[in-house]
Amino acid sequence: MSSVLILVPLFGIIGLNMLPRNVARRAAFWFAAAVFTAEILLAIVHQPAFWTEALVRFDSFFRLKFSVDSLSRIMLICIGVVSLSSLVVAKSTVSDEKEAFKFINILITASIGMSGIVMVKDIFSLYVFLEIAALSSFILIAFNKDINGLEGAFKYLILSAVATVLMLTSIAILLLDSPDTAFSTLHNEIAHSRGNFIVTFAIGLFICGLFIKGGLVPFHGWLPDAYMAAPAPVSILLAGVMTKACGIYTLMRIVASVFGFTDPIKNTMMLIGMISILVGAFAALGQTNFKRMLAYSSISQVGYIILGAGTGTFLGLAGAAFHLFNHAIFKGLLFVNSAALEEKVGTSDMSRMGGLSERMPVTGATSVIAMLSASGVPPLAGFWSKLLIVIALWQIGHYAYAAIAILASVLTLAYFLYMQRQVFFGKLPPGLEGLREAGNGLTLTASALAVITVGAGLAFPYIYNHFLLPLKEIFF
Amino acid sequence: MNMLLLPILIPIASAIIVLLLPKSAKLLRDTVTLLSTFANALLAIMLFNKEILVSYPWVGFGFEFSLRLYNFSSFIMAAAASFGFLIALYSSAFTAAKNYSKSFFVYLLISLALLNGAVLSNNLLLMLFFWEALLITQFGMIMLGGRLAFRTATKAFVIIGASDLCMMVGIAIYGFSSGSFAFSNNMPLAGLGGLAFVLLMIGAIAKAGSMPFHSWIPDAAIDAPLPVVAMLPGALEKLLGIYFLTRISLDMFRAETGSWVSYLLMIVGSITILFAVMMALVQKDYKRLLSYHAISQIGYMVLGIGTFVPVGIVGGLFHMINNSMYKCCLFLTGGAVEKQAGTTNLEKLGGIGSKMPVTFACFLVTALAISGVPPFNGFFSKELVYDGALERGWIFYLAALVGSFFTAASFLKLGHAAYLGKADKDRKDVKEAPYQMLIPMVLIALACILFGVYNKLPIKFLIQPVLGVDRLRGHNYWGFPPNFILAIISVVVLAGAFLNHIYGVKKTGSGLKAVDHIYHAPVLSEIYDAQAKGYLDPYNIGLGFLNIFSIAASWFDKAVDWFYNVFSVKTAALLTNASRRLQNGNYKTYIILSMATTVLIVLFLLRSV
Repeated sequence: MSSVLILVPLFGIIGLNMLPRNVARRAAFWFAAAVFTAEILLAIVHQPAFWTEALVRFDSFFRLKFSVDSLSRIMLICIGVVSLSSLVVAKSTVSDEKEAFKFINILITASIGMSGIVMVKDIFSLYVFLEIAALSSFILIAFNKDINGLEGAFKYLILSAVATVLMLTSIAILLLDSPDTAFSTLHNEIAHSRGNFIVTFAIGLFICGLFIKGGLVPFHGWLPDAYMAAPAPVSILLAGVMTKACGIYTLMRIVASVFGFTDPIKNTMMLIGMISILVGAFAALGQTNFKRMLAYSSISQVGYIILGAGTGTFLGLAGAAFHLFNHAIFKGLLFVNSAALEEKVGTSDMSRMGGLSERMPVTGATSVIAMLSASGVPPLAGFWSKLLIVIALWQIGHYAYAAIAILASVLTLAYFLYMQRQVFFGKLPPGLEGLREAGNGLTLTASALAVITVGAGLAFPYIYNHFLLPLKEIFF
Repeated sequence: MNMLLLPILIPIASAIIVLLLPKSAKLLRDTVTLLSTFANALLAIMLFNKEILVSYPWVGFGFEFSLRLYNFSSFIMAAAASFGFLIALYSSAFTAAKNYSKSFFVYLLISLALLNGAVLSNNLLLMLFFWEALLITQFGMIMLGGRLAFRTATKAFVIIGASDLCMMVGIAIYGFSSGSFAFSNNMPLAGLGGLAFVLLMIGAIAKAGSMPFHSWIPDAAIDAPLPVVAMLPGALEKLLGIYFLTRISLDMFRAETGSWVSYLLMIVGSITILFAVMMALVQKDYKRLLSYHAISQIGYMVLGIGTFVPVGIVGGLFHMINNSMYKCCLFLTGGAVEKQAGTTNLEKLGGIGSKMPVTFACFLVTALAISGVPPFNGFFSKELVYDGALERGWIFYLAALVGSFFTAASFLKLGHAAYLGKADKDRKDVKEAPYQMLIPMVLIALACILFGVYNKLPIKFLIQPVLGVDRLRGHNYWGFPPNFILAIISVVVLAGAFLNHIYGVKKTGSGLKAVDHIYHAPVLSEIYDAQAKGYLDPYNIGLGFLNIFSIAASWFDKAVDWFYNVFSVKTAALLTNASRRLQNGNYKTYIILSMATTVLIVLFLLRSV
């Protein structure tokens, strides 16, 4: 029944395009909203019976197997929440009805790709869905067809192509040895031929391909340009879930259930994670553009996730999964706010803003919450995930990494405080006196995401017991 | 809803009601407070000696909100609830004209709820929660004394907070090495167990107000409103501290007679008795004198429990309930004097006994009780403690006996200076206190007589069940003291104190100066001087050490500042420049960078093959 998340939207898009134009344009928004809401609810309720048993024939439409476990479930919630936010923001920022309809079509396609990535259980279908997601994001980045968007999309396309080549080569090599492409079969084969030169080579290529997709330092070149060039609703989607589903989630999944946590892989992941944290944070400190700063901050936060996952312990993976969720929420929230600023101030250059808090109280307040969560201030959600990651590092004896991870939190706070001071506090620059709060769509989305951040932090024991503890069963 | 939640919820709920009432609704406020403290007392008596266990899932990680009522906790709860009601009644008159009356009642109710919670808790973590929260109400209550009380409140907060920190570490060690946070682990005292015992003991005796954690009590006696002093250091904190000390010694650890912790406790107890009573002797203020006795009497309890022999523990616990009764009542008489005569300075008081006969009678009864005169309750509990102390070593017995000599001497002085003698000409028309203040005093004084004359009642029903049949081995400790000779010696010592007083009065011609010959004795006078200058206050000594630490910390802080203000700013500038150069928008650079790193990573992975 898992394929319901793929098939319903897929046939939905086809159906929408067959309807008369004016009906379709009106229905598209509600259809997309219903799909994303259903995705969130199904993942939260998470009836194992629903995913596996009912309507086996429905699943057999695809000649491939889908399944939803506790890690996929967390990711599905993120995809649903962020896509929904992106949809609502698009509704209030893309005014042309025709453009909006196109956007919704591609947004749904992108979400099909991402949902597929998190539910597949064989490496080739994984590749197919990665391409679906990547293709739709190229189009989305270049959606406005302006020079910056096209350039950003082009860079992403090129780097993505490199990643694809690396991964396809790797899959081809792995298939030399394995009868089929299922994760479990591959896992056994790799475990058998551990230490084999060519298999290790393939593993290395695959991991590097995913590093490019995830935008980790030093594979990150495309990321700031793409995030900055993309229209507001697209950067929400890209930063919130797209690169996470394509790169980070896939890396966690592949390493955990196919390659296995061997010491060299763990060390590589932790080192790359640490470099990303530091370079991302220091680079963010020096940015003057709001969106570009958020992009570097994304790199830094993704570093935390890889650092946690690289420990290879339950606690580290739980921390990484929870940080994945938190990052999707607070970074989504900050990009929603950047959309509000872009719409109202007309630029994302921070040097031209100031004192906006009094003019845009909701935007100001929610961005404070997001930034505190990102910096790991208790009791917000970001604190708990960072805490889990730091504890996991400490437990396996990487004291230096743990210490740097904590100190880098202060850097996070530093660049966000700089942002707050530049944008929201202080004096209004001349010319912005008549500024008004952004529309309801934007402020409601921002408030809802802020509530999720605060709620997830306060209800951490519940989340730990119901969402993170089950991770133990799949990996250990 | 379980019955056991009520002792926590009733006072909290009424505290919220009182908080919501307007400041002017005095009658309504008094009614609500009195009714709820009365309900709390009634509930505690109804629950007395029942066995109830109730448990709710709490924060997760296996910690439960688990409450347990059994003979000991019901005993402490009933005692505390009774004091709570009596003090509320007393305060309705005492604080009537004060503007802090509302805050005081709110704190009082919350403190009662927290105390009930702490006593009922069935695991250490839950108890720690309530225990720590009491620190906040204590701070708030001392702060009611006005601007000057701030220093004292901070002092109390720092001392109790630091010792609570020790206790917290102790709880962590205890839970870590015995595997659970339950009270009944019977952990051995070797190694980490010993450390845990000492840390937990520090928390318990600091709460009770034993030396060396005492120095805030005399300050609070002056600065804080009197009902606060009567309630917290006078009664509730003693009950709670000694309760926990007993739980540590009896349930949590396998502490045996002759173990080193036993000696540690007895030494702490003896020192507390002696030093505090010597300080009490020379005080010239009614309340301050009492406050040193509040410290000194704790010594008897710690000594009694520290003997780890049944008679000593029974004596210690009996002394705990007796002391909280007469000490509370003594403070209340002090409050009555303060309110009616306008001062507690013994140099200005005198001859008010005839004008405040009921207050004087209550003072007389409780002063005789605290001095250990038969047949009042203090006599019997002290005899039991003597008996236990003598069994463990004559030196401890001697310390207790000397302590009781000076106790008697200082109360003779206090009574003489305040109630007898010539009245000051400014205070000719002092009147008796209002009945709301007299009723609590009279009730407690009567209870002191009852617990003495008919001591079978408290010992059989309240105290011996705590130890259990196994420990008592069939002994019963009520009735006349088992050791007749010790009783004779005690009476002789009391007579000596009386003679000493007469000698002093003859020599100086004044009740207040009756002990000056002790004050001016060689060696002692120097100790007194040092104490007067605050050199011997552990708090001040601790502050000195803290100063050194703070200098070191400021150097460390400068290093951290340098890291963030200089190092990270420079690094950020460097990296931003570098990334700008690499981030030149040219995708060829990105590809080259990515491929180069890919080669490095693949080589790294292959190296391990």
